Amino acid sequence: MDRRTVLKGLAGAGSLAATGGLSMPALSQGAAARTLRFVPQADLANFDPIWGTQYVVRNAAALVWDTLYGIDDKLQPQRQMVEAEEVSADGLTWTFRLRPGLKFHDGEPVLAKDVVASLARWSVRDSMGQMIKATQNELVAVDDRTFKWVLKEPYPKMLLALGKNNTPCCFIMPERIAQTDPFKQIGEYVGSGPLKFVKSEWVPGAKSVFEKFADYVPRQEKASWLAGGKQMLVDRIEWVVIPDPATAAAALQNGEIDWWENPLPDLVPVLKKNRNVGVDIADPLGNIGVFRMNHLHPPFNDVRARRAVLAAMSQEDYMRALVGDDNALWKPLPGYFTPNTPLYSEEGGEILKGKRDFDAAKKLLAESGYTNQPVSCIVAQDQPITKAQGDVTADLLKRMGMNVDFVATDWGTVGSRRASKAPAGQGGWEMFHTWHAGADCLSPAGYNGIRGNGDKAWWGWPTSPKVEAEVSAWFAAKNLDEEKAAIGRLNKAAFEDAIYAPTGFFLSYTAWRKNVSGIVKGPLPFFWGVSKTA
Amino acid sequence: MGSYILRRVLVTIPVMAIVALFVFSLLYIAPGDPAAVIAGDQASPADVERIRQSLGLDRPFLIQFGSWLWKILHLDLGTSIFTNLPVASMIAQRIEPTLSLMALTLVLTILIAVPLGVIAAWKAGSWIDRVIMAFAVSAFSLPVFVVGYILAYVFALELEWFPVQGYTPFATGFWPWLQNLILPSIALGCVYIALIARITRASMLEVLQQDYIRTGRAKGLGQPSILFVHALKNAAVPIVTVIGIGVALLIGGAVVTESVFAIPGLGRLTVDAILRRDYPVIQGVVLMFSFLYTLVNLMVDVTYTLIDPRIRY
Amino acid sequence: MSVSTTTAIVPPGLVIAQPLPDLMQPVKIRHGLLGFLRNNPTVAIGAALLLCLVLIGIFAPYLWTVDPTALAPAKRTRPPSADFWFGTDALGRDVYSRVLYGTRVSLTVGLSVALLATLVGLAIGLVSGFVRWADSIVMRIMDGLMSIPPILLAVALMALTRGSVGNVIMAITVAEIPRVSRLVRGVVLSLREQAYVDAAVASGTRTPMIILRHILPNTLAPMLVQATYVCASAMIVESILSFIGAGTPPTIPSWGNIMAEGRALWQVKPYIVFFPAAFLSLTVLAVNLVGDGLRDALDPRMAKSL
Repeated sequence: MDRRTVLKGLAGAGSLAATGGLSMPALSQGAAARTLRFVPQADLANFDPIWGTQYVVRNAAALVWDTLYGIDDKLQPQRQMVEAEEVSADGLTWTFRLRPGLKFHDGEPVLAKDVVASLARWSVRDSMGQMIKATQNELVAVDDRTFKWVLKEPYPKMLLALGKNNTPCCFIMPERIAQTDPFKQIGEYVGSGPLKFVKSEWVPGAKSVFEKFADYVPRQEKASWLAGGKQMLVDRIEWVVIPDPATAAAALQNGEIDWWENPLPDLVPVLKKNRNVGVDIADPLGNIGVFRMNHLHPPFNDVRARRAVLAAMSQEDYMRALVGDDNALWKPLPGYFTPNTPLYSEEGGEILKGKRDFDAAKKLLAESGYTNQPVSCIVAQDQPITKAQGDVTADLLKRMGMNVDFVATDWGTVGSRRASKAPAGQGGWEMFHTWHAGADCLSPAGYNGIRGNGDKAWWGWPTSPKVEAEVSAWFAAKNLDEEKAAIGRLNKAAFEDAIYAPTGFFLSYTAWRKNVSGIVKGPLPFFWGVSKTA
Repeated sequence: MGSYILRRVLVTIPVMAIVALFVFSLLYIAPGDPAAVIAGDQASPADVERIRQSLGLDRPFLIQFGSWLWKILHLDLGTSIFTNLPVASMIAQRIEPTLSLMALTLVLTILIAVPLGVIAAWKAGSWIDRVIMAFAVSAFSLPVFVVGYILAYVFALELEWFPVQGYTPFATGFWPWLQNLILPSIALGCVYIALIARITRASMLEVLQQDYIRTGRAKGLGQPSILFVHALKNAAVPIVTVIGIGVALLIGGAVVTESVFAIPGLGRLTVDAILRRDYPVIQGVVLMFSFLYTLVNLMVDVTYTLIDPRIRY
Repeated sequence: MSVSTTTAIVPPGLVIAQPLPDLMQPVKIRHGLLGFLRNNPTVAIGAALLLCLVLIGIFAPYLWTVDPTALAPAKRTRPPSADFWFGTDALGRDVYSRVLYGTRVSLTVGLSVALLATLVGLAIGLVSGFVRWADSIVMRIMDGLMSIPPILLAVALMALTRGSVGNVIMAITVAEIPRVSRLVRGVVLSLREQAYVDAAVASGTRTPMIILRHILPNTLAPMLVQATYVCASAMIVESILSFIGAGTPPTIPSWGNIMAEGRALWQVKPYIVFFPAAFLSLTVLAVNLVGDGLRDALDPRMAKSL
């Protein structure tokens, strides 16, 4: 008998041992088996997937709202709510027909007018949607189950736009909700997805509850990411927010929770040792660490300073700071696109390979005109990923001989400072850190961070005509070979102009109790097909 | 007494108004706004600006403050920027766990610390006294979260006597409610126990030398009666003061305890709101805290007069 | 009837009382500081410990430490060894060096807050306790001040400027002032009922003079003790602020932020939290010992007011 059993026996008082461990005394054993308790990556503070584009909002929204198409694990969009689609010979008219029997959670059927309103709201906020809207002639419901989108120019990637998993996803809401201004939050959370959101039990910051929607009609095909039949094998899902990773680890080991989305890599060895816990890579598409520089102001307005950083930085340092000692969790990334995907390229990435050359870096820095003026490194302390990267950068720049002013602040401040185009001394910024989900870096579609269109580009406002030319080339490419060629040139141009500094490719784990089965790898946690035995 | 209480309550209102103004101004000048957090990483600057406008955050300071004040006067605490739920309902949801935690901690602490302090004073100079004071000092030395982690590890994870995290409402049952709160209360209470035990000892020491104690003893009163009825009552003023002040300590420690044990209380609500800049929630919570402190301090001051008739206002 | 104390007849039912603790033990007359310390071992031990820690803080660079901000992510979370006496933290920095340099910050925070909060709290408490009409106004303002969560202040200050030791000190001081002033006020409330105060008033002494000459000296001793408690509490609050992420930046190590950064790992790498926690405990212990000892030594009567 091991120590734990002996101690448990001593703990004795039957009531203690019998009711100890689980904090759900009100549910019987049977009911407990039908409830899945999940710890999400962050708190679900708001619940409008078009208005608030955080990953956690999208993950929750995927339970409550359904999409017209959904990408499968081969990254191909497949039909979901749509039964059939047709595109005219000139590529300008898209006609879609919905599946029969689709219902919203309030009992109303899903009609084409609901879809039209949802698409209108979505296309204001989404970059691909904006592209489609810009060439839109009309978007109209033909009858209750059919709608069409007429464009002025062909848009071959229409299905991808409607089925992609990058935020904001094209979720279909009832017309009355979808008519809310896209810059204001919706107030009702009614969708046609496999689960209902139980608003009465929602404690923002602590708990969110979803219940199985009995009238959901899943597709016949096997589920694969956002495509296929979304069969719910549990009746109720509770999202429990546990802010402290050590507590979450203990709760998983104790059986108080069933599935932890994002265990801290350092705690994973403890979880792996536990007989009741399973651990695996969460998402093969991983994440790309981002060290973003401001192209508008010194010192990084000169490409030589940016390339100096690329020459000196050690991706291993960044990645170890993020994921620890587990080599399975990171890879060097001499490129801007997600590894192990069709469009991955390493062209131009030699500067990140090989031994780090501080002398060359210092030379480049001097050439760029840097003369020891203070450079402020603003690091948000309340976000572990950006904090770790920021610490490494501050150290890197110091070793490059720069005069680093470390400014510790919080993410709210960073978020608002980075929107400012003023110089650093006047409320602006010189650098910040973040990361992109690998699923967002598969191609230039939806990948704001790679663009070089100056004022309209992402924070940092890089200007790179070469990159932009290749982006257009990719959008116009007719087949995969042309796409790959365009991406290769894009990658090279991005390195030459040093759009930003990728700090590496990293993965994360997910962990669950062994009595839970059906968890698959993917860019977001998928709850269909997940079941639990008592 | 009645008019004193009334005067106190009336003075509270302008004070709360000033606190509200101060906090509002602080939030206004501090950089960081929720629009950027809401819009998320993929949004464009134009998007962030649109969201900021729709939240009314681009209006001038006085207009924003005025509109918030107007709502308050109608007893409307506003709506959270993030969750779109009324602030009052968000606070109401989270108040029970925090109050339960604080109440249980307070009860545990007083039940443990006051007798400990009294005994230490009674046996001043002996080994019992030293042991008790050593324990008191050491319990005060560790930060709450360290104590919390150790307790969670030993009692929840290894021994499995209690759950590691979570909160069960009182309505579900007394024992489940207590189970979730015992470890957090002990973690939170450690510092408090130490403080109160020492104050009690110090205060009792002084009182025990008084002549009237000697008289009582000469009269033949038993030891417990002397200690707890006569001496303690006279020693109570500083003890009550510290208990009142300790409420502030508790709220600060509650934030940490709630994070470590994942209790959905007001402490965490406040921290999350501050880091996200959810202004209506921050203001609502601060307003509530100021009302709470005023109440607690009023109770402490009234208790002074009950204990020590020499104190007059 | 002759009265004979040695053979007094004890009536039935009378219980002989226990002797009271004799706190007024005869104390050997010793002179000077050293004598004071020998008479009061608690103060001596506490002060000695505190002195050690202050010296560690001052001489940190010479105590076999390395640069506490030097990163080496390849060597992260190594357990204590001959190379790294206290191990390394999550970014590969040497915990031993960070803890030793952290002594400076934590002690600075503790002492500065203690000094500032006691001075300001003393002034406010004196005025409030003695001048009746000022009492309600001042105390209500203190109530208001208390309701501003120090976390809010710390985060706002950090957002306005940056995370720094100064901001931490300010945020904690503002939170401690109401506490100190309340305590002083409590003392003064009792003191002002004393006979000598009445006498001073009767003989026409002006209020400021009464406060300065009669009340203030009697509050000094409790204040000194209170200051030590504030110091200890400030060091702990600093660690809580670091827990939230509003403490000193990682380039300025303090025990609080070392613990905060290592707290998620403590189940697997407990040494990152253990060593700063041990130092923090020792320091708080030392400060408390000094406080307790001072209180016992200076005046047993003033124990009442704490």
